[in-house]
Amino acid sequence: MSITKLRPHAVPPLEVGEMAIAALLSNKLRSGLTMLGVIIGISSVIGISSIGQGVQKSTEESLRGLGTDILQVMAGEAESGGISQGQGSVSTLTWEDAQAIAEQAPSATVVSAYLQRSAQVVYGAENTTTTVYGTDLNFPEANNTFPATGRFFNEEELDAAASVVVIAPTVQENLFPPNVDPIGETIRIQGEVYDVIGVMEEKGAQGPMDRDDAVYIPLTAMSARIIGNNSLMGTSVNGIYLKGEDESQLEALQFQAENILRLRHDIDVPENDDFRISNQADILETLNTILGLLTGMIVAVAGISLVVGGIGIANIMLVSVVERTREIGIRKALGATDSTILNQFLTESIVISGAGGVVGIVLGVGITFVAANLFSFAFVISGGAVLAGFGLSTAVGLIAGVVPARNAAKLDPIDALRSD
Amino acid sequence: MITLENIVKHYRLGDVDVPVLKGINLHVEAGEYVSIMGASGSGKSTLMNIIGCLDRPTQGSYHLENRDLTTLDKDGLAYIRNQYLGFVFQQFNLLSRLTALENVMLPMVYAGISKTDRRDRAAAALVKVGLGDRITNRPSQLSGGQQQRVAIARALVNQPSLLLADEPTGALDTKTSKDVMALFHDLHDQGITIVVITHDSDVAEQTKRKIHIQDGLIID
Ligand SMILES: Nc1ncnc2c1ncn2[C@@H]1O[C@H](COP(=O)(O)OP(=O)(O)O)[C@@H](O)[C@H]1O
Ligand SMILES: [Mg+2]
Repeated sequence: MSITKLRPHAVPPLEVGEMAIAALLSNKLRSGLTMLGVIIGISSVIGISSIGQGVQKSTEESLRGLGTDILQVMAGEAESGGISQGQGSVSTLTWEDAQAIAEQAPSATVVSAYLQRSAQVVYGAENTTTTVYGTDLNFPEANNTFPATGRFFNEEELDAAASVVVIAPTVQENLFPPNVDPIGETIRIQGEVYDVIGVMEEKGAQGPMDRDDAVYIPLTAMSARIIGNNSLMGTSVNGIYLKGEDESQLEALQFQAENILRLRHDIDVPENDDFRISNQADILETLNTILGLLTGMIVAVAGISLVVGGIGIANIMLVSVVERTREIGIRKALGATDSTILNQFLTESIVISGAGGVVGIVLGVGITFVAANLFSFAFVISGGAVLAGFGLSTAVGLIAGVVPARNAAKLDPIDALRSD
Repeated sequence: MITLENIVKHYRLGDVDVPVLKGINLHVEAGEYVSIMGASGSGKSTLMNIIGCLDRPTQGSYHLENRDLTTLDKDGLAYIRNQYLGFVFQQFNLLSRLTALENVMLPMVYAGISKTDRRDRAAAALVKVGLGDRITNRPSQLSGGQQQRVAIARALVNQPSLLLADEPTGALDTKTSKDVMALFHDLHDQGITIVVITHDSDVAEQTKRKIHIQDGLIID
């Protein structure tokens, strides 16, 4: 016999993994508590980012439900003697403006003007505060919102300022018992009696506004009875919806509407505009930016708990190496190399953190699922977030394990065997 | 088998060099059964740790099967410990978390032997030391004598060239000491080379060659 081969055999990773799991299982309570930091960190990162994405998706969907081929002209700053009156206070837009755009803007397919006021609505002993819209016949088409039962008011009713009202689902729910068909009933709006002629379809909350919590009456009726008509200036309105053929027409439509209004309002430079035109895409973009920023910030805070979890693992691993000094000596005496010992402890750290990560991912997905159902937003789990969560947790284990594992590998076999 | 020439070992305690081994010359032939005796603190364990490749000499040369071991790096020494040497300690040094079988399998993990072979060979080794019915017991469920026999099975399972034992009966009562020594005797009869440290002359009497160490030097 003579010694020829002197390179020790490397223990395969799978077997090192088994050894690590066995070691961690031998002290379940400690392993579990050590994992907790990573579990909390990963589950909150996954949960919050998924909830953020879900809310974003739902908001986007419902905003798109209103149509992205729509522009909204809002009454703007009415400067009287240099004093700003605030947006929409004294309206600078009129029914006649809407008519002019409808006639003169080639790209406009649907034009609808509205007045808007918060008011109390009463049916029998029930009452609720809701948004009252006074509008014209084009409102359903402009907003993609149509009556589910009954009908919208017609031209005669608009011309006659008829006391008819179309209510939205939330108002129906708030005022009428489930067994009462609202159509044919009468409700009071600011004391005036209106006949219910239709109930709108449900649209879901539209981000900042809720189309389901509203009632619709003829613009003429609103102007005459609720606002008080200022006939000298025409019928003032709070806003005008403009619809183009499709999304690509919006820029042209906006340009046309701006020019028509500037001409009618005697405005020479855009800085003096007494109106503002916004489109859904802009609103969507702003909303997404805000939501994204908010989500990012909370995720960053959740990430801190991951760092704390990593410190916990490093701490326990350091203790574990000291406690198992004799084990390390024995293993070395039996032929374990420094790198085998290093791998063993590094693997333990990665396994404990990775396992915490997996539990955290499951928990985070669970939290998202429950929250999505509870608050009815889209349940979105991005594979990227799950992968990142798993990668992050193993990386935390790797970083946390480096120093303890190096301490273990560096131990002198004789000193280690002599410990205790 | 092994040849030690002028082995010197110093320990550094702060600023002072403490000489423990002062020039050991020793040759052990294959198949020999040798005891090393000496007073406590005479340097027996230090010598044994050097022979066992757990420690390096400060000076001198050490050949195992004609190979100079003083030139090996840490991994090389780990390989020698794993493949050529079996170590039995006074305190058994079993891993309390593992069963007898798993303890005996451990050297084979580091030798890269397949799992099934490991299991078979470890079981056979335990049968050989008379513990075939105790393979699933943990060290805490075994007597001192039984634990030491598990340790001996572990030391032998990679078929080492040399079995080293540092006071293997030091923690055992007279009766179990006799059992363990009888086992060593059997192993010697099977041709295994054994070096055993003891300060018990009864134990030394049973070996074929007695070496005395005093104050870091071999005396005869
Ligand atoms: N790591 C060490 N550092 C300093 N001195 C040591 C160390 N190991 C052993 N010694 C000293 O070396 C001497 C011999 O020790 P040892 O070989 O264990 O003796 P024995 O096994 O014969 O009782 C003792 O005086 C001991 O204190
Ligand atoms: Mg000793």
